Amino acid sequence: MIKQWFKSGSPWIWLNASAVSMSLILVVGILGLIAVRGLGHYWPSNVAHLQYRDKDGQMQDITGEFVDSNEVSAQRAKDAGYAATDIGDDLEVEQKLVKIGNRELNAMDFRWLLAKNIQKEEYPEALVVVERREYGNFYGFLVALKASGQIVANGPNVWEAAQKSIADTAQVFKEIKQLEKKEIGAINYALERLRLKQRSLELKNQWTDEAKKEIAAEKSTLQTEYQSYQSRLKQLYAKGNEQSLVFKTGDGHEVAIPVGKVVNAFQPNAMSVFTKIGHYFAKLGEFLSDDPREANTEGGIFPAIYGTVLMVILMAIMVTPFGVVAAVYLREYAKQGFTTRLIRIAVNNLAGVPSIVYGVFGLGFFVYILGGNIDQLFYPESAPSPVFGTPGLMWASITLALLTLPVVIVATEEGLSRIPKSIREGSLALGATKFETLWLTVLPMASPAMMTGLILAVARAAGEVAPLMLVGVVKLAPALPLDGNFPFLHLDRKFMHLGFHIYDVGFQSPNVEAARPLVYATSLLLVIVIVGLNLAAVTIRNHLREKYRALEG
Amino acid sequence: MENQAERRHAIDISSIRTISHNPGKEDPCLHVENLNLFYGQKQALFNINMVMPKQRVTAYIGPSGCGKSTLLRCINRMNDLIDGVRIEGKINLDDQDIYAKSVNVAALRRRVGMVFQKPNPFPKSIYENVAYGLRIQGINDRHTLDEAVEQSLQGAALWGEVKDRLNDNAFGLSGGQQQRLVIARAIAIEPEVLLLDEPASALDPISTLKIEELINELKEKYTIVIVTHNMQQAARVSDYTAFMYMGELIEFGRTTELFTNPVKQQTEDYITGRYG
Amino acid sequence: MDKKHIGQHISKQFNEELEDIRHKVLTMGGLVEQQLEMAMKAFKLGDIDLAEQIIQNDEQINELELIIDKECMQILALRQPAAFDLRLLISCIKMIPELERIGDKATRVAHMTVQLFNNDTGKRDDYYEVQHLSELVILMLHDSLDAFARMSLDGILAITEQEKVVNREYSAIVRQLITQMFEDPRNITRSLDVLTVSKALERVADMSCNVCEYVTYMILGEDVRHISHEEFVAVVSGRKGKE
Repeated sequence: MIKQWFKSGSPWIWLNASAVSMSLILVVGILGLIAVRGLGHYWPSNVAHLQYRDKDGQMQDITGEFVDSNEVSAQRAKDAGYAATDIGDDLEVEQKLVKIGNRELNAMDFRWLLAKNIQKEEYPEALVVVERREYGNFYGFLVALKASGQIVANGPNVWEAAQKSIADTAQVFKEIKQLEKKEIGAINYALERLRLKQRSLELKNQWTDEAKKEIAAEKSTLQTEYQSYQSRLKQLYAKGNEQSLVFKTGDGHEVAIPVGKVVNAFQPNAMSVFTKIGHYFAKLGEFLSDDPREANTEGGIFPAIYGTVLMVILMAIMVTPFGVVAAVYLREYAKQGFTTRLIRIAVNNLAGVPSIVYGVFGLGFFVYILGGNIDQLFYPESAPSPVFGTPGLMWASITLALLTLPVVIVATEEGLSRIPKSIREGSLALGATKFETLWLTVLPMASPAMMTGLILAVARAAGEVAPLMLVGVVKLAPALPLDGNFPFLHLDRKFMHLGFHIYDVGFQSPNVEAARPLVYATSLLLVIVIVGLNLAAVTIRNHLREKYRALEG
Repeated sequence: MENQAERRHAIDISSIRTISHNPGKEDPCLHVENLNLFYGQKQALFNINMVMPKQRVTAYIGPSGCGKSTLLRCINRMNDLIDGVRIEGKINLDDQDIYAKSVNVAALRRRVGMVFQKPNPFPKSIYENVAYGLRIQGINDRHTLDEAVEQSLQGAALWGEVKDRLNDNAFGLSGGQQQRLVIARAIAIEPEVLLLDEPASALDPISTLKIEELINELKEKYTIVIVTHNMQQAARVSDYTAFMYMGELIEFGRTTELFTNPVKQQTEDYITGRYG
Repeated sequence: MDKKHIGQHISKQFNEELEDIRHKVLTMGGLVEQQLEMAMKAFKLGDIDLAEQIIQNDEQINELELIIDKECMQILALRQPAAFDLRLLISCIKMIPELERIGDKATRVAHMTVQLFNNDTGKRDDYYEVQHLSELVILMLHDSLDAFARMSLDGILAITEQEKVVNREYSAIVRQLITQMFEDPRNITRSLDVLTVSKALERVADMSCNVCEYVTYMILGEDVRHISHEEFVAVVSGRKGKE
């Protein structure tokens, strides 16, 4: 019976099917975990106002959001500093993690509370959550709106007045940002170029009076422009910092927060589910489109998305022609023999080299040797500060291109070898040369395979972090590598990257606990970006495959 | 009365002569002289000598591996693509040695077209397939191409079937249509010689017949050399037949003679199915 | 070209089919030979029973002709034979009508025998004139069928040589008969009978020669019809080496 069952092969089918389902469950589980942990971060959960008896028996007023709860053994609870009387003879006690914010008042953002000791728990509608540009969240009751020290509004309509003030001030700050980034940024960039021009003229001994005059004139126009922007900025800053909000915290402190520091203020306990959903998506949009704040633990991650995608695209642009040309030579032109075999082995082994080694190579060879020489040859004027002699977008892309080159070569070679001999012969028999045959028939037919190589390359490159840390990724880049200043694409700039962002937020931030949801959210985003890039490539490949469907069999 | 009867008799005779397989005047086109071919150390063709006449169909028959395809591929130097092939002897196309150093191989292949066993259209539209050879020669004028494509497709008896879908992918055609498309592609560049390497072996009988009919029409303009495994096909389409065995040319002669009354015992055994 | 040659096809069935046809043709040839022999015997002895039997036997010959024809056609359609196989079939197709006509001649003589000896009450006449001729012709037929059976050109020339003898013999008989008829008009009836038989025999000799020509074509692949005897001799002796 059993023997028959084994003979029939169904045990194997079961084994294989269960392996597949196991993998599927794992993948879905990972994605689900990341999604739940990450996406929940922006949900405006209710803020509790608690009466808590601390270990000395004193009553405290605490405001904050419940974040987590767990059970710990009595011994560990004692070690953690809870009073023995509170624990009693329970073997296990429940403790809750509360985000209490108000960093200027409390030493910590988060606090573990013994669940037993929470005497009262209420959710007053008037409780306000303030997201700030600095010092994290603030929880408190709004008391008044002040302008230049004078109370403008208090009492029942203070909330509306505050909202309006926040919106107006946000507008002002938007303008400030615009001025600083675009206009003043452009002027600074122009000034820097003028300085470099002057330096290069000096180096070439062409620093004549005419040139002096010319540059001085340009400089003065820029300076005047700069002055006008500067005065405008002053005004705006004055306006932005005019007003402030006065809050009373749960334990009775009064705190004034300048409106300019407020990003967003809301009353989660007073919000309906629908307003909460609206708030949630607004926050999500902010996450995707804003710059990071507070050592990357708050705000958005737009520069990181931008940097990742741009770097991957640049890498693809570099690796594809190189890989294809190398593969074509190896497969079509090189005399097959010991040397080509050796090269193939080398290429295949390159794919197995740890990526950090590529990073080291990139830093040593590309950045210092190549970059250093490029600086000496083409940018002598900017010495001693390096242009390409320092990690940057270009070197990162090239390093990753090198890293993914074997994949592209192998895939392309595979594709070339799969093209039926009859197609080549057909072309040659029509009087085409070898090059014409390659260019007109073989390469188009191999393009799906090249795309497959590219897909693998993109998937690998987008997830790489280690080598990037050496050749161009930074925690916070001052400017995007693609902007409105000529020559628009700044290959020498450093950039941000989602993978590195995860590492940075998760391990390097001052408040790891607070940043953990952000790690999940960013991971999810990284997965989505990679999937998106791959989907694009897969679509193109399938299209090509349909177009160049070769004769089967 | 008697005169008339006599004349009728005379007319009958002459008409019988035109129907018969007795071709008219023949000019030599391809001379193969003392051709030896080696794959590395192994000799594949032994001292081949033959003259293939212009505008006639010459068929190569013989068992698998006898070198008939190899010999065919010598005529447009397709064997150059294979590593380690060495050729001795001469093949003259219109008194010009195609293995001379000065010969441009691509130009030679334009004069000697080739059609392969399996239809091998390019993954392009029907139109572009036919225009491929012309485009390679740098002809991109739309009008010229249109005309050439139509003529070639008509020449390959395919125009009627595809004229409404010239821009469709060639893979959409049936096997027989694909093979005729490939023939159209080959004649678009107006070669002098057309080499057919088992052109119908992958096709169904009706498509095979169409190809055979096509060969019969094409020989008005081209010198055709065909390799086939199908002896009946060789008998049907060719004017001359060469029987090869183990790399040697055993017998070469008029098809009618070779199939009814071969000179060599090996030929006889092969064509009557006694081989082996 | 020996007869084992047929049995070397890769297709055993084809071997059997060809062998079967050859066998049937030989059977038909044997039958015809026997008919002719019996007809001459019946004519000479005035044996009406024998003659009746000959007339009946002709049916078999006709039937064989149809069967062989059909089988040849089937092989042509299904096997597309070439070279020797093709020539063998073509020769068979052409030989069979000749054999059938020889059979007809025999029947004709048999009919005559029946007519003659039904009316003539017991008047015996051994027809000495045709005695030698019939022997010659039967031998020719036998030899030519034998050549086909052996698939050999040995003796072919002798057979065609025989034909000249037969022709001379026939002319002699005709002259003799004319003399007899001049001498005595009462001989006319008998002479005409003898003439008819001789004529039949002479035709049989011709047909045997035709059979020889087909055998030659089958073996040599050379069409030897409508050429002079000298040319025929040249062809046969010239190409014999090919066997």
